[in-house]
Amino acid sequence: MVAVLVMAAPKALTAQDLLVPMDNSQTDHLKAYGLVYWSLERSVEVDWLLNYRGGSFLMPRTGEVESELRVRGISYEALSASAAAQVMAEVQSEDANTSVVRLEKPPEIAVYAPDQTLPWDDAVLLALTYAEVPYEMIYDEEVLAGDLGRYDWLHLHHEDFTGQFGKFFNYRSTAWYIEQQREAELAARRAGFRKVPDMKAAVAQEIKAYVGEGGFLFAMCSGTDTFDIALAASGTDIVPSEYDNDPIDPDALGQLDFSRTLAFENFRPIFNAREYEHSDIDSGPPPPQLRNPAVDYFTLFEFSAKYDPVPTMLTQNHVATVKGFIGQTTNFRKSVIKPNVVILAEAPGRDEVRYLNGTFGQGTFTFYGGHDPEDYQHFVGEEPTDLSLHKHSPGYRLILNNILFPAAKKKKQKT
Amino acid sequence: MRLVLTLLFFAVCVAPPALAQDVDNSEVERFQLAESLLQAGQFDRAIPMLEDLLASSPGTHVFYERLRQAYEEVKRYDEAIALVERQMARATSPEVFLVEKGRLQFLAGLESEARSTWESVVARQPSSPSVYLMVYRSLLQVRLFDVAIEILESGRERIGNPDLFRTDLAQLYALTSQLDKAVSEYLGLLASNPGQLSFVKSRLGPYMTDSSAIASAVPPVESAVARDPLNRSYRELLTMLYVELERYEDAYQVVQAVDRLEKEEGSMLFAFAQTAADGGAWNVAVNAFEEVLKRYPASPASPDALRGLGMMQEKWAQQFAAGMEPDSSQAHYSAALATYERFMIDFPQHAHVPDVLTRMGRLQQDVLGDLESAERILSEVTARYPGTRPADEAAFALGQLAIMTDRLTDARIRFTRIVTRLRTGDLADASRLELARLHFYQGQFDAALQLAEAMQENSFSDVSNDAIGLKVLINESKGPDSLHTALRRYARSQLEIRQQNKEQAVLTLNFLIDEFGDHPIVDDARFLRASVLADLGRVADATQAYLEIPLMHPMSFFGDRSIFHAATLARDQEGDQERAIELFERLLSEYPRSLLVQDARTAIRLLRGEQV
Repeated sequence: MVAVLVMAAPKALTAQDLLVPMDNSQTDHLKAYGLVYWSLERSVEVDWLLNYRGGSFLMPRTGEVESELRVRGISYEALSASAAAQVMAEVQSEDANTSVVRLEKPPEIAVYAPDQTLPWDDAVLLALTYAEVPYEMIYDEEVLAGDLGRYDWLHLHHEDFTGQFGKFFNYRSTAWYIEQQREAELAARRAGFRKVPDMKAAVAQEIKAYVGEGGFLFAMCSGTDTFDIALAASGTDIVPSEYDNDPIDPDALGQLDFSRTLAFENFRPIFNAREYEHSDIDSGPPPPQLRNPAVDYFTLFEFSAKYDPVPTMLTQNHVATVKGFIGQTTNFRKSVIKPNVVILAEAPGRDEVRYLNGTFGQGTFTFYGGHDPEDYQHFVGEEPTDLSLHKHSPGYRLILNNILFPAAKKKKQKT
Repeated sequence: MRLVLTLLFFAVCVAPPALAQDVDNSEVERFQLAESLLQAGQFDRAIPMLEDLLASSPGTHVFYERLRQAYEEVKRYDEAIALVERQMARATSPEVFLVEKGRLQFLAGLESEARSTWESVVARQPSSPSVYLMVYRSLLQVRLFDVAIEILESGRERIGNPDLFRTDLAQLYALTSQLDKAVSEYLGLLASNPGQLSFVKSRLGPYMTDSSAIASAVPPVESAVARDPLNRSYRELLTMLYVELERYEDAYQVVQAVDRLEKEEGSMLFAFAQTAADGGAWNVAVNAFEEVLKRYPASPASPDALRGLGMMQEKWAQQFAAGMEPDSSQAHYSAALATYERFMIDFPQHAHVPDVLTRMGRLQQDVLGDLESAERILSEVTARYPGTRPADEAAFALGQLAIMTDRLTDARIRFTRIVTRLRTGDLADASRLELARLHFYQGQFDAALQLAEAMQENSFSDVSNDAIGLKVLINESKGPDSLHTALRRYARSQLEIRQQNKEQAVLTLNFLIDEFGDHPIVDDARFLRASVLADLGRVADATQAYLEIPLMHPMSFFGDRSIFHAATLARDQEGDQERAIELFERLLSEYPRSLLVQDARTAIRLLRGEQV
């Protein structure tokens, strides 16, 4: 993966550059990502200064960019040519754990989500919308039709690839659940599948193939573990009759094939329809004594910016410790993570991983546990988080690091 | 387990020999063991035991049932089907087993065979409603809603009874997003029993989330109403659908008809008028209120309707005022006043009279500027209805009116009386603030301060912020002489503004600014002058006055808001979008930490034509 990234050569600095600092002086960290995307759309190349002042951005100074920075409320510093040269020299110095990655083209972003409005928020949609990064929504039909090749980046959030409708059994009489189930069943029939779990497994395989061909996958919450569960159980019925009207395969556990998964292995699905958990990949919310927003946090690992630019990019932040937050899938048990996966963040003192990254084929995947970084425990039916109140959210920054990651890739996708 | 054992006991003791063989104790024990194995998930051990049990006692239903379930649990559908077929061969009535066989065939992936089996069941007894229901329930188990609909529809047709399966079909149609057909079924139910309306509404409620689906449900109900105009439940259902779709005009027509047919004396129309007003359907609400008044002038709903109409006109006027449409706003205020006057003529003895009179007085005073009429009306309320809430409100309004007409001593007496009488509450707090302001207008700053300080203690009060503002202004603006002349002039200008003497206020402020150019109150004075000039329609002067502030007082609290107001004038009054953007951008550059930056950013983007 490192080979495909463009480590920026010292560029011919323009008369004046703009530095968008991403440390504590930044007035709106989240909008800064959108501004970088906006610049890339206008063919303005941006240098991402990894580990320099929280992962700052450097771009040529133009009136248009400066005006946009002001309008979006993003703080910036105008640098003279010599000052900019000094910054670049500092970043590229062998003594500092910093480096430069050139961002060249805006990635085409797809968010995998149904048209139906569901009664919970989607952290990536919120982040993209707030940061003003354009995206397209796709779902099962488009994925199965082979549309993924049009996109550089795919996001999954609170999705259930096992076809158990999120295991929201207690909500089965509500209008949204009935509609969700009905739509999924119709989609499965249209796509030629007898059951929803069969269709979802096929969708997971398509997404895996997309990653193998060079796509970028970012998944959160139950979109992470259910993805791998669906891959491992492809062809095996692991869904209780409450969701697909027939029982699980008697030898379901023996038939799981972990060689097909991306990140996890040796896990055990949970077959109890009423238990709001898909498998033992998720270690669940913190123990009761730690289930408190004031003491629940996770720490980001520090990587070598020059030799490990990918994990460095994904962990750029203005803090090293990030507030914890709970989701249907919160933390990944270390014992079920494949050895070739890179751990990006973990809950200290616990055998749990919050954020991980790995490669498959020519692509890469990132899994991030938890539902909403600024809502400790998001309940069904709650209002979506207003990100204008959380402009500096380190948890949301981790999501947005991922959307710029594909912008740093030079090679065209083989899709 | 207990249930199973009970059934087993029943089978042993009660079942006739023709249906079941005797079950001995060893069989009971073996069955209990098989049950335990099933619960432990040891199907491979339980199934042979159950097979043996059934072979030795083929008439024992519970053995059969458990064995079938066990086969199903391990997806041995072929064996389950074979078991059902064997059991069916023994039965006199095979329908139940056929239905079960169809379900198992479906689970085994034999969909067409399953369909054939289900169809064969109904073919055996095509005129039996219970057979159709049996098949329908089996189809529900595998969520084949569309097939279930087909079965029930065909059953209804073959039996020749269109009333059959109404609620089942309605639920199926709703589940499959066919709200129009669901409603048609419910209409059939209401045709025979209009008292089921609440049940129908509750069943439809969860599906009223998608406007296109709701819209599809309207035509069948409209047809039903046309067909049977005397069925009230149809019309109420139609009203519910129209209101959900915010088709208030159509809903109004229906409510009118119900009100007429059912001799509701306007009560239903009045309730609907309030619903329409809450939904912002002002015209419809006006018509509904008027209808009550026209058709039922003597009904109990009539006075409420007239007062409600006036209050709604006031709300409508406020909406126009907020939308910068002063002419329309004025027209609706006038309409409100006319409505209240009509109330006084039609219902001079009604309990709402004090409230209506007070509303009239406030309108005359605050909106129409007829202070003489206002005073006359408000005085009448205080004299005729002492001790009532409307009388207290009228007394407060009279105090404010006295300030407007420069009778400050009279105003002080009125506010003092309110404070003395009420002691606590919103009117008492508001009166205390007015007393503080009166001291302020008259240059009695220590007295004003004392009152303001007392009021700020009560942070729950609506007026405590204003009291704090007054206190800060006084504390920061005393001097330079012992008479606090600059502050005195500023207070004077505020009184002149309140008395609608705005040209004089500008002169007073000009004088203050010229004479005390470096006094701390001057930026306040400049800001106030700019806003008065804007009120007077002198837009260019106002813009200039606003833009002077950040230049003359770069550290002033008013710097950012002056630029914001200048930008707003350029946008709204001068229609100069480029200038407005330039000024909003200036605010962002010069005051990046201002509380107004978010509004400025939004304004820029809207002016650029972007979606915000």
